[in-house]
Amino acid sequence: MCFKNLPIEFDAQGKASLIGGARDPYAYERKDISREDMKKLMAQNGYVRGVDFDPVTRVAGALAFHATVDLQNRKVLEAYSMATLFRGYEVILKGRDPRDAIFISSRACGVCGGVHATCAALAIEMAFGIKPPPLGIVIRNLALSMEFVWDNIMHLFMLAGPDYSEEMVKRTNPSLWDRATRAKTRHEDQHGYKTIGALMHDMNPLTGKLYLDALELTRVAREGYVTLMGKYPHPETIVPGGVSHNVTVQSFNVYRNRLMKMFDFAKKGIGIWEDITNFFYDADPAYKKVGTRPMNFADTGIWDDPFAYDGTYENCDSWGEKRWATPGVIIDGKQVTTKLQQINLGIEEFVEHSYYEEWSGHPHKTDPLGAPLSPYHPWNKETKPKPAGLNWREKYSWSTAPRWDRVAVETGTFIRMWNTVLAKKLPHRRMLDLTDNSMLIKIPAFDTPEMIAEWKIPEVWNAFERNLSRAYAIGYNAAVAYDNWLIGMDLLRKGQSEVSTPFEVPKNNRMGVGFWGAGRGWLTHHVELDKGAIVNYQIITPSTLMASPQDPWGKPGPYEEAVLETPILEEFDKPENFKGIDVLRAIRSFDPCMPCTTHLYAGDHVVTQDVNTCACGVE
Amino acid sequence: MDSVGKVSGRPSVELTPIPGRTTPLEKVYAFWFAGMSCDGCSISVTGASEPSVEDLLLGRIPGLPRVVLYHPVLSSEAGEDFIHNFELAAQGKLDAPYVIILEGSAVDDTLIPGEGYWVGLGARKDPDGNGSKVISVMEWIDRMAPGAAASIAIGTCATWGGIPAAVGNPTGAMGLTDYLGADYRSAFGLPVINIPGCAPVGDNFTEVIALVLQFLQGTGPLPEFDELGRPAWQFRDTVHDRCVRGGYYEEGKFAQKYGDPECLVEVGCWGPVVKCNIVERGALRHHGGCMSTGGICIGCTMPGFPDKFTPFYVAPPGSAVSAATSQTVGGMIRFLRSFTQHAADRTARWDGTEAAFSGWAPQSRPEPIYEKLIHFLYRKQQHMNSVVPGRGLEVTKFRDGYEVDNVTRKLSDEEKRKSGRLRRAERVQHEAPAGRI
Repeated sequence: MCFKNLPIEFDAQGKASLIGGARDPYAYERKDISREDMKKLMAQNGYVRGVDFDPVTRVAGALAFHATVDLQNRKVLEAYSMATLFRGYEVILKGRDPRDAIFISSRACGVCGGVHATCAALAIEMAFGIKPPPLGIVIRNLALSMEFVWDNIMHLFMLAGPDYSEEMVKRTNPSLWDRATRAKTRHEDQHGYKTIGALMHDMNPLTGKLYLDALELTRVAREGYVTLMGKYPHPETIVPGGVSHNVTVQSFNVYRNRLMKMFDFAKKGIGIWEDITNFFYDADPAYKKVGTRPMNFADTGIWDDPFAYDGTYENCDSWGEKRWATPGVIIDGKQVTTKLQQINLGIEEFVEHSYYEEWSGHPHKTDPLGAPLSPYHPWNKETKPKPAGLNWREKYSWSTAPRWDRVAVETGTFIRMWNTVLAKKLPHRRMLDLTDNSMLIKIPAFDTPEMIAEWKIPEVWNAFERNLSRAYAIGYNAAVAYDNWLIGMDLLRKGQSEVSTPFEVPKNNRMGVGFWGAGRGWLTHHVELDKGAIVNYQIITPSTLMASPQDPWGKPGPYEEAVLETPILEEFDKPENFKGIDVLRAIRSFDPCMPCTTHLYAGDHVVTQDVNTCACGVE
Repeated sequence: MDSVGKVSGRPSVELTPIPGRTTPLEKVYAFWFAGMSCDGCSISVTGASEPSVEDLLLGRIPGLPRVVLYHPVLSSEAGEDFIHNFELAAQGKLDAPYVIILEGSAVDDTLIPGEGYWVGLGARKDPDGNGSKVISVMEWIDRMAPGAAASIAIGTCATWGGIPAAVGNPTGAMGLTDYLGADYRSAFGLPVINIPGCAPVGDNFTEVIALVLQFLQGTGPLPEFDELGRPAWQFRDTVHDRCVRGGYYEEGKFAQKYGDPECLVEVGCWGPVVKCNIVERGALRHHGGCMSTGGICIGCTMPGFPDKFTPFYVAPPGSAVSAATSQTVGGMIRFLRSFTQHAADRTARWDGTEAAFSGWAPQSRPEPIYEKLIHFLYRKQQHMNSVVPGRGLEVTKFRDGYEVDNVTRKLSDEEKRKSGRLRRAERVQHEAPAGRI
């Protein structure tokens, strides 16, 4: 039984139905946010301050964060995550030819557009009733594992990395820098640095060697990607039913020659982030609390088995579990499901604190297999943008609040490993293997020897563990890429070089969903077609899940949860000099990617309503 | 006046000298704004190497000023520290010229009845100091565009409106020129510079920046921009003009399904009418490029993108005539070319023999008489005004009297059929003392 809060039960055969009795089983009571106490406290105590992080830089896209911090007791009292951008992608997709979804939805995100293009293709394929030939699936896997390799590198060394650089640590924690200059590293054999200080020096933004090396490597990885996909970030060769890349052995050669350079950096990166993590833990165990939050995770899995994926909703549980990343939901550290259908039934979106009007109606009472669907499920959602001023009690973000079984869940490149380890269902063991609590990742030799990296399920969960796990994920992504490369070459050897399936646009009512993964985890595209046009298009991205504002029950979104738990360990002499590095480390560890967070609307009209009467600015 | 640059479509642009400047610039500020953006242009620019972003930002290009960049994705400051210099620039208090760069569409905040924003950057404290309001990006553009040395729109959203401005868009999205007006001029007298593409080729952007800086230093020409403010040398040609598959079009060979190597027009490529240089330049360091890798052109650099190119994956209507024409004419050309190609596919040694000259496939195709005839005529024409190599010379003579006898070196058809190895073996056998081999 995977749901604790939703009114769904399963019979012995695993068939879902509504728990009888309740008249309106999905109804809920909204709990208002009260800020009266906070306002009093701020008036009384000069050390309790509102701090705006707007913009939060070094995250992709428009993110702002407001926190109320007690600088004397070094605690965060309030945290509000704000997506500050709206573009209206789903409004644009509504009423269009379904063939437009791939190229248009790709533009939701310029950091990893390929995942949206692919996810749209999966949703369209399900609705059209087609599937790509094996080599088409392999090419998608190759592109989107290489994409994550460079995406993870960019995050670790260009976006989050500078928070751990000499430049930043000197400014925010001088005593820590002093310690760093003397602290010996443990993994010199992997990265070549003798002291933490030397390592941090090379992580300096723009001038540090590691920053510049990483930047250069992102180009090498993208060379491999564009060889298959034409361009970056928005790929040109994803089509309904496969890819349009004319595969040759040359494509495979060019790709491999770039992938092998990633192997070495993966090994190096693991050593670097092991050392950084240990250094901070040793300096002050309180760092284990920076960015901590409950172990509630969800992921849709990614990288389809070229021989198992059939594009149908009927069989999604079975092909889902054959992926290189097993889909799954983890609540309080325990895996509650690995089935895509249940993952789909559990997701709902709420807009109480977002700049949208609530929608009414419940057109799809069940999914295509007859299992109950919430009126807040994306297939039922119809959201209408309603811009307004900032009001913490009412509406403060362009992001919605998605919840799984009404719980705030985190997702990420490392949640893929976490789910895969707990599920023990991974069929692909050439480059990966599993133990009870770890994943073994074979990273092949290039300049440096082969390494079996072991990612263990962390005992604590915080900003450092996220970054460290992301470093392991570089190896994981590269290993998946190489496994797929070998499968692709084998397909060519057998003469199975088809990459696409012909299709026709159906004219009747069809439902589709793409379950894929973005650089940062969970990604779904839900689509409904009728009369050859898109009736409804809904995207849930990892950062929508994580940057979400509070839900109707007043429970914070994952970024907010993590910031609320973050202790203030920064050194400052007076409140004016407070930089908020601990809060920023907590937020950036999620690798926020805002462009694709804030576009989730299927309203059918231009905004013409009167503005929210509560547009009284911030309280 | 410093210099006069030529802008296509207008006689010239009057350039205002930098007030009080007598020495080359040491630095230039660049403020990067994200409108209705996906950040893809930023990502694309980090992939550039002609020059690279770090070359520009570290000031390591000889003779060029250092670019001090304020960018939401790349900057290390956050919050108020980050916004501080935006405010200084808006107030005209910076110690060096600045440019503004917009990625993503401009929006129409007037569509919002009352308070609110479509895209914000930075927050302003309320007078009571107790809270803050998000500042619309458009407010920054209003304040900073007039004083900017140049206003640059990167990507199709910022140049023309792009996907956020597609039919059905709720935000009133538009390009920067539409927002500022066609009569907008920067402090240096330039209209908006437009570098389109979704995402643009990163090198197209950094190249323009480097060349504009070179110009500002007084050491280079003002780069030429076309009538829509695009870098003229990058967007003069259609992507089809330089397409790696353009030759297939010429010969009327078209891909019939995705993954085929031929011209993609019949499966939805708009390349013949789209101005873009991606296949010639590559997406990144000469790798990729849409059609080079099998991707159809969806017109992403064009003002009409996306609505004038949808539905995607469908042959453009105009291609029915042009593709049919090229199939007819191109088919004929291909047929004629096949004669020359057959001849060129043979070494001179293989000429005149029907022997198999490869173990890979049976190729002893007898040369049809008409091909022989055409080939003979072609050779005549080819060497009408030049000598055919070695023709008619029985002996090649050198100045010191050394001679090479060409007649004995000529192989008969029968000899040609024997491999070099076999001929050598025969000779060795012939000359070797009995019992040695």
